[in-house]
Amino acid sequence: MFVSRSMTRKVITVSKENTLGEAQEQMRAHNIRHLPVVEADNRLVGIVTDRDIRTAMPPSLIKGQDDPRARERFAQLTVADVMTPDPMTISPSHTLQDALLMIQEKRVGAFPVVDQHGKLTGILSVRDLLRAFTNVLGIGQPGTLLCILVEEKVGQMKRIVDTITEEGISFGSILVARYWEEDKRAVFPYLLTNNVIRVKQKLRDLGFTLLDPMKWYLDQLPKNE
Amino acid sequence: MRRTGFLYDQLYLLHDTGPYHPERAERLLAIHQGLKQAGLLPHLIPVPAHPAEMKWIQTIHSEPYIRRFEEHSLGGRRTLDCEDNQMCPATWEAALLAAGGVMEAARMIMANEIDNAFCAVRPPGHHAESGEAMGFCYFNNVAIAARYLQQTWDIERVGIIDFDVHHGNGTQHAFESDPTVFYYSIHQHPSFTYPGTGREFEAGKGAGHGFTKNSPVLPGQSDDEYRRLIEQDLLPAFKRFAPQVIIVSTGFDAHADDEMADMRLTSEGFKWIMHAIMTLADQYSAGRLLSVLEGGYALERLPELAADHVRILLEMAPTTPSAP
Repeated sequence: MFVSRSMTRKVITVSKENTLGEAQEQMRAHNIRHLPVVEADNRLVGIVTDRDIRTAMPPSLIKGQDDPRARERFAQLTVADVMTPDPMTISPSHTLQDALLMIQEKRVGAFPVVDQHGKLTGILSVRDLLRAFTNVLGIGQPGTLLCILVEEKVGQMKRIVDTITEEGISFGSILVARYWEEDKRAVFPYLLTNNVIRVKQKLRDLGFTLLDPMKWYLDQLPKNE
Repeated sequence: MRRTGFLYDQLYLLHDTGPYHPERAERLLAIHQGLKQAGLLPHLIPVPAHPAEMKWIQTIHSEPYIRRFEEHSLGGRRTLDCEDNQMCPATWEAALLAAGGVMEAARMIMANEIDNAFCAVRPPGHHAESGEAMGFCYFNNVAIAARYLQQTWDIERVGIIDFDVHHGNGTQHAFESDPTVFYYSIHQHPSFTYPGTGREFEAGKGAGHGFTKNSPVLPGQSDDEYRRLIEQDLLPAFKRFAPQVIIVSTGFDAHADDEMADMRLTSEGFKWIMHAIMTLADQYSAGRLLSVLEGGYALERLPELAADHVRILLEMAPTTPSAP
């Protein structure tokens, strides 16, 4: 559920000195709309989008007219002329929920993912997010996330759902994920309540293991090199 | 030693949330017992609980909501707005006494009758929205006290610090457009726990932009992470803002033994936080500090945590901040 798990790692980048034509070619070749702008040491300095480039393009070229002077002017423009310097970024340890809400809030199409040293480590676009959120979740409502470890056998989910329902608690969503042990599953019910102490105890009494959600994620995060 | 007020009233115990509810009267009994056994009660100045006047409740809550709450409670309904909010006929009066008691403690601080205060109230308040009860909260005691201070005592800038393990959505929303009240909250990350707000980018709106600050903490973190975030986020913000009074939403539910969330604070960590807040109050607010109970559900831990908290307010030895 962290950005590091869903971002695109092989980032296509440009440098400030690249021409807009070169940047455009990169976008076309990879079917993308955002190019992070980096220095030689991979430090992020800006972002350029297809929209930035189109805005800088003379109208005659957009219409496909043969206009050598306009073409020459445009050819002299570089990424540095149109990029957004110091763009909004996100860190690998932000959650996908963070990213979803930030993208809505800031009205951007992608966030460069930057580590604590300012180095570009990936990019997270709306496309990445949509993919990650295809199966997700009622996070707009107040609630609490539990993380339950269950053996993979028929009827386990029913016991969990029954226990929670008996407590009069509504579900925001339930996410079921693979666990590293072959015959186990991690179940994440998002409960629309603040009142989770008793339901947690009941689940334990039934023999379920409640996991610290952080532990489950942390072990899957790439190690800090 | 400082003159520390202590707000507590038997009527707070009558707010009955039914069997098995974590926000229960035993919480206050445990806190009271803890202060008594630590020999602290004789050092504290009692703050009487009066019911809040309606005009002060109305500074934060909408008319229809106030009416609905009164009707539901006095009419014998068991819940308000959500299953979480269990109540009884005495809840209405307890909520008025909680808000009014906190206001009285604020008055005593401003009248120089006490230096600071700890308000052991129920029901808690920081999730209560203008028009909705949420997360065991009905009236937002802290928000109401902030408005009371501004409108009665010529206070321009109120700083609110909320270290309950849950984000205080009600308090944030009450002041998010208001540059005269700074709301700072440190809490378990909203992707994992109630109420699902309090992300870093929630920083206030319009004229209030920059006067809300949230420090979400990922599950399982402990004293070091709280200390790092408070030093990084809270201290510089309050240095710029220079609050004239500090109100604290005190929650003990980030403790490692509290089942409500997944935080791992130790008792030493809580002490460090409170020392840091005392230092802020001395630096900017002439020591004026109003601590108001929100959550905290580990009954076996509350006596010790409350006694530590009050000892720091009283400035009793040992006074040196201990590193967590």
